[in-house]
Amino acid sequence: MNILNLFRYWRTVLTVGQITLTNLMNDGFILFAVFFQPMIIALLALFMLKDKGADYGLFVVVGSGLTGLWSSLLFISGNSINDERWNGTLESLVAVPIPFEVIVFGKNLAHVAQSILSMLVAYVLAALFFGYSLTLSQPFLFVISLALTVFAFVSFGLLIAPIFVMYRSVQQWQNAMEFPVYILAGFLFPILLLPDWTTPLSYILPPYWAAVALHGTSTTTLPLNGILFAWAMMILLSVIDLVVASRLFTYMLYKVRVDATLEME
Amino acid sequence: MDAIEVNHLHRVYRAVIGVIRRSIKEVVAVGDISFAVGQGELFGLLGPNGAGKTTTVKMLTTLLIPTSGDARVGGFDVVKQANEVRKRIGFIFGGERGLYWRLSGNDNLRYFASLYGVDPDISKKRIPALLEMVGLTGRGNEKVGGYSRGMKQRLHVARTLLHDPDILFLDEPTIGLDPVGAREFRQVILDLQSQKKTILLTTHYMFEADMLCNRIAVINQGGVIALDTPSGLKKHVSDLSVVEVETFGAASEAIEKVRALSFVDSVSIEEHDQRQLLMVQTQRGAEAVPEVLAALDGQRLGRVVVREPTLEDAYVRLVGGNA
Amino acid sequence: MHTLVVNIRLFWQGTLLSYIALFHWLRPVTYTASKILMPLAQMMFFVLLGTYATSASNINFYVIGNAVQITAVSGIFGVTMSIGNDRSMGTLPYLFGTPANRFALFFGRAFMHVIDGALGVVIAFMWGVLLFNLDLSNTDLSALGLTILVTTFSTCALGLLMGCLSLITANVMFINNTVYFLLLIFSGANVALDKFPLWMQTISNLLPLTRGIAASRLLVAGSSLESISPLLWQELLIGVVYGIIGYFMFAAFETVAKRRGTLETV
Repeated sequence: MNILNLFRYWRTVLTVGQITLTNLMNDGFILFAVFFQPMIIALLALFMLKDKGADYGLFVVVGSGLTGLWSSLLFISGNSINDERWNGTLESLVAVPIPFEVIVFGKNLAHVAQSILSMLVAYVLAALFFGYSLTLSQPFLFVISLALTVFAFVSFGLLIAPIFVMYRSVQQWQNAMEFPVYILAGFLFPILLLPDWTTPLSYILPPYWAAVALHGTSTTTLPLNGILFAWAMMILLSVIDLVVASRLFTYMLYKVRVDATLEME
Repeated sequence: MDAIEVNHLHRVYRAVIGVIRRSIKEVVAVGDISFAVGQGELFGLLGPNGAGKTTTVKMLTTLLIPTSGDARVGGFDVVKQANEVRKRIGFIFGGERGLYWRLSGNDNLRYFASLYGVDPDISKKRIPALLEMVGLTGRGNEKVGGYSRGMKQRLHVARTLLHDPDILFLDEPTIGLDPVGAREFRQVILDLQSQKKTILLTTHYMFEADMLCNRIAVINQGGVIALDTPSGLKKHVSDLSVVEVETFGAASEAIEKVRALSFVDSVSIEEHDQRQLLMVQTQRGAEAVPEVLAALDGQRLGRVVVREPTLEDAYVRLVGGNA
Repeated sequence: MHTLVVNIRLFWQGTLLSYIALFHWLRPVTYTASKILMPLAQMMFFVLLGTYATSASNINFYVIGNAVQITAVSGIFGVTMSIGNDRSMGTLPYLFGTPANRFALFFGRAFMHVIDGALGVVIAFMWGVLLFNLDLSNTDLSALGLTILVTTFSTCALGLLMGCLSLITANVMFINNTVYFLLLIFSGANVALDKFPLWMQTISNLLPLTRGIAASRLLVAGSSLESISPLLWQELLIGVVYGIIGYFMFAAFETVAKRRGTLETV
């Protein structure tokens, strides 16, 4: 998108985000995606990695939090345009002077920010249930990494939603897209375990760099230049995502007005 | 300058038919429509289902791209200058969808105000005023899911006025409302007109169009077949009178017999539970009654009345009679 | 005799309907592909995570556990959706307005998913052999097939019970996702049960899948059908119990809903 629009309409982005959060509060599935699923995955991973010792506690917390972030991005942000169509509000949203992608950005921001909760849930679980003491090794850098992660995920989501709107056949793969990203992004185990040919795939996924930065700053495994590189990659990929998303949105908004698919049949 | 100018709008839908052998079928929704609406005018668009009313409104509200032809709203092209158009228009598509039911009325309005770029200070004052105007004062904090259908439709009016648009498109706004709700809604429309808003209204209810509209375009099969004031349209049928016959379960053969009478212009039927109202349009007036009754011989009949034609009769004649 | 024919037909119609409903959303090609690829993605994730957590020598433990676990995709998601759809599509009042045998109506909805689920597990085992070097040369394959069928049956029975819950609560997706992921933990597909605290082990033993997974692991390691048959009988019993509870809940739901007039609104 025209990234300047995000600054120009920052107030709208925030209002949309805030109202989206209010709207989500009553949705049981959201509760599952944000709260239960990452908790269950965290619990499972904590049991599975129990023999590796307490050092892995924080790794599991961050990793399972990331699975929650990806799942809610895929299922909630991925459907954020289709949901409006089912709700009958898409027409009203398209026919406002604010660019549509700014609105969807605001919605995705709410989804992703809310998913950060899933990391907190995993943290509490590891601390209470397993009695691990969990301290972030580089809290300041971790917070910056988290902020960049949110931005990178939101931008990535902006790419997914219009594709799901335009190509229903792609959306049917939604369920099959959940675990491959868990694997390729190295949320809970290093991608070194994977065959070499998958590495480039990992590199173009913003969630991979988010995992690098967050794992690297929560435990002391990554030197500063490695962290900076992961940050740079997140920013670069976000910018690319936003530019491509902008084209996709323009094309989508043209296509739906030609095909008359703004409204649900 | 006219508020709305429509020049030869044409719109085709492509529908994919079949699952295995896919073929594309083209359906013409709007053939060739032209009309103009003046500033501050309340303009009606009438026509049977599938005549192209909603398609026309959606093209004018920038939600559909015309296949050919062009239109200007508020002086701006609806395709090339869509965003300028959007700043100046509001629209309602009848029915209760299109709101966030899990949010309160206030939150719905606050949300759309921010999407129209209304300054928060202004919207803070405008939202309560609009709620009052549509009769929802004190209900703003309730979730929309709990509103009645009429309340939802009135909230739509408030929603569409948030950015104080000059031009409003109301597509069958009273559809599905009970008589009291519909009457209240019509009052809201009249209030809007008194605020000098330009309004394009589509409706199925003839008395509604007669009561509200300054001018009416009747469209059928994708084209404008008449465009006049309500009284002008009625002149189309000034030569006619209408024989209304109440029947109870009349056989369709009997009705066909009436329809076949040489002096009968058209016959329309209104169903009311057990009884039907046959409206026989004819130039003969009261003299037609005996022969009409003769054709209905053997049917159970009620009241018979001969009356002056209404806008509905004009409409029925225009769209081809046997509605 | 006539009643039997009618009920068999009813059973089949429920079966077909629940499948058609599925295909209404998924195109056949996509369905087939997702039947093959989705299990692979999930298996890969847990096998990689498991071998990373312990050691590569444990690979069979994770491959078998997750292959059998795949049955829950049909057993939980498929079955709950086929019941839940009646509610969301508003067809429930019409269904309850018929004199149809509720037993045939209810279990018909699960039948196709038993076949579908068992097929999913077979495909998952195939991935195990192709990608994870799973060795089935010492395995009594017909016994393994029987184990898969029994396990799928008991999982679908749980699915039926959960489907009934979805008739009462607002969100089917919430229920079936939660159950699916909880099974992932408690079934012992990824964690040896003795690593759990006692209360968790108790829950595991009350759920379907647990014994089916254990039996499958023993069979692959070379055990005979005879030695694992107690596990199978227990698995079957669990399925029957869940099925019966589910059926009575279904019947109770109908009564309550009719009394309160909440068929559509609950």
